[in-house]
Amino acid sequence: MATANWRTINIDLLDPDSPSNFSLTSLLPTLAPVSLPEVQNLSSQIRQLLRGGDTEGALRGALENAPYGGDAAAKDLHLQTVSEILQSIKQSEMSPLLTRIYTSPGGPETLDVLMKYLYKGMSAPPSAPGSAGGSRSLTPQATGFSQIGGRVGGGEGGGQAMSVLLSWHEKLVEVAGMGCIVRVMTDRRTV
Amino acid sequence: MASPEVHHLFHHPIADHSFSADRKALAVARDNNVELYTRSGSKFTLQDELKGHDKTVTSVDIAPTTGRIVTCSQDRNAYVWEPSPTGWKPTLVLLRINRAATFVRWSPSEAKFAVGSGARVIAVCYFESENDWWVSKHLKKPIRSTITALAWHPNSVLLAAGSTDAHARVFSSFIKGVDERPEGSVWGERLPFGTVCGEYLNNEAGWVHGVAFSPSGNALAFTAHDSSVTVVYPSGPDEPPRAVVSLSLQVLPFLSLIWNGESEIIAAGYDCEAYRLQGNEQGWQIVGSMESKGRPGLGEMREESALNMFRQMDLKGKSKDDTQLKTVHQNTIATIRAYDVAGGNVKKFSSSGVDGRVVIWST
Amino acid sequence: MTDAALKSQSLRPYLLCVRSSLTAALSLSNFASQTSERHNVPEVEAASSPEVLLNPLTVSRNENEKVLIEPSINSVRISIKIKQADEIENILVHKFTRFLTQRAEAFFILRRKPVKGYDISFLITNTHTEEMLKHKLVDFIIQFMEEVDKEISEMKLFLNARARFVAEAFLSPFD
Repeated sequence: MATANWRTINIDLLDPDSPSNFSLTSLLPTLAPVSLPEVQNLSSQIRQLLRGGDTEGALRGALENAPYGGDAAAKDLHLQTVSEILQSIKQSEMSPLLTRIYTSPGGPETLDVLMKYLYKGMSAPPSAPGSAGGSRSLTPQATGFSQIGGRVGGGEGGGQAMSVLLSWHEKLVEVAGMGCIVRVMTDRRTV
Repeated sequence: MASPEVHHLFHHPIADHSFSADRKALAVARDNNVELYTRSGSKFTLQDELKGHDKTVTSVDIAPTTGRIVTCSQDRNAYVWEPSPTGWKPTLVLLRINRAATFVRWSPSEAKFAVGSGARVIAVCYFESENDWWVSKHLKKPIRSTITALAWHPNSVLLAAGSTDAHARVFSSFIKGVDERPEGSVWGERLPFGTVCGEYLNNEAGWVHGVAFSPSGNALAFTAHDSSVTVVYPSGPDEPPRAVVSLSLQVLPFLSLIWNGESEIIAAGYDCEAYRLQGNEQGWQIVGSMESKGRPGLGEMREESALNMFRQMDLKGKSKDDTQLKTVHQNTIATIRAYDVAGGNVKKFSSSGVDGRVVIWST
Repeated sequence: MTDAALKSQSLRPYLLCVRSSLTAALSLSNFASQTSERHNVPEVEAASSPEVLLNPLTVSRNENEKVLIEPSINSVRISIKIKQADEIENILVHKFTRFLTQRAEAFFILRRKPVKGYDISFLITNTHTEEMLKHKLVDFIIQFMEEVDKEISEMKLFLNARARFVAEAFLSPFD
């Protein structure tokens, strides 16, 4: 015990009543746990829709079933699914699609989830150097669904994927406003 | 709609403001002091300063009938100021809190006031005549973080509180000997001190910035940092509420809100302008801004001469001056309060904000 | 598509995204510390009450250029990773940001030390948003981001030109 440096102990953490020990779980509604196979199942269903050309249905399905209760692997897998959908939608279709979702019942909440995925996509850690720098982890298998994923080295270090997310962000703020960004910051349910 | 009456008092944030009942006097919290202004003609002139706090004053309230002023500050203290022949006389309130006092409001009966604090308690204060000072009783459980806003129910017993732990709560602050036993309401029948009559959390769990009871006291609205307004309609004691309507907004969060009748709310905050919301138990929506866009004076300002434009380009390298916002308030609105109420409807309301302006709006 | 065209095309949405994210994050209020009495500290730095911290946001243009926004109830920390394509730019960015951070008190919102993984950090508190206009603070950060790239590439060009001149002058006697 002689080695313990008592000067660096944060005594606030030892007091159960201290504000430092505020339990963030009290801010969360109870979330149903989601397992990895469930997310895999969902993503293959969504790919089915995407292949059928129903991009709006695919996007809605993916956003309304965000795996809040899942573990990191499940969340990452779902992020890949969402990114794939986002990349398959043409720039000119973004605004009308977003307006349609916003005006539908439950639309604002759906778009809040989309905003969460945009920020998560941008904060995703860089992929291992070497392999196809441009497409990185967003398109894991050479599935051929995404139009951009196949283009190797489209931009420096994921620039192409980011610019897709950035243009979605621009369009989304136009439709859902600043409130949408504020909600991403406050909501403790992360995607 | 008449154009708003703008009083630019100083270039400093106004944490809170309060008008006296006759609307001739105005108290504003500025830094460590409270400044008292009186109306002379169309302007407000500085009359007096209440000095006593040694940290930022966070809140001020004038009791309408007794004229007493209560102030609280981040120095953990609250004072009740009473007029005397030699000026305003402060009385220290025994708050017994060890963190900043954040919010204070007189109860409608004016026999009590409540002080919110960063010590995770609400001090309900009342006058003890045998000792001749203001003492307090604490509402503690289940508050888990700083209290940001308080609002009194018309019966002076129920108290709504918003907190940074993202909950809006309704407490009973019944004090024997001070309050009359209240009639039963949708919030509860028997209400001993400290009863939690309701506890509400919204979806995104943002800090609650403002709370308000409807004029009848049968509905509670609160605004939170997730840019939402939630209205709760309780059905009865120990029963789930009849309806909880939550509205997510496109604008930045609101900090303060007031009711105008039972089906309209006026709210303002980080967007620097006040908005009107309308609705009922079925749903609420934002109706529009309180600012009339074609305000005289604004157009003249926007319309710039060619000379001015080239001068701007020359001096600042840009064609238009975008320093000034198009709204009346040039920064966040911190507080809005009812200014003129007739028959349950707000005819006029006042707003104050970080830009040092107090503005009186007609609805 | 040429590289340059791609860049200018993606710079606008990038800055736009930073602008809207910052505007949303700069919704600050005066909040006294819950842990130490009679103190008022930037909660994002103190991190003593988890409930007053919000989810951080990252805006990135590519792996080498990104902005991290860490909001809290009374302060926001903004960290910028400046584009560094090669070693010279690396050195230039380092020198440039060092020059600025050593003069941090003249810049009000500049943080003396960047957050790990980023080149320069700003700390905006509620006092800043009270004393200065919020939208102008956002403008300042955006302008800084625009200018710093220009500045670095200009310095690099200048450095290369000077190196060439020096080399020529040095080697001319051996002609």
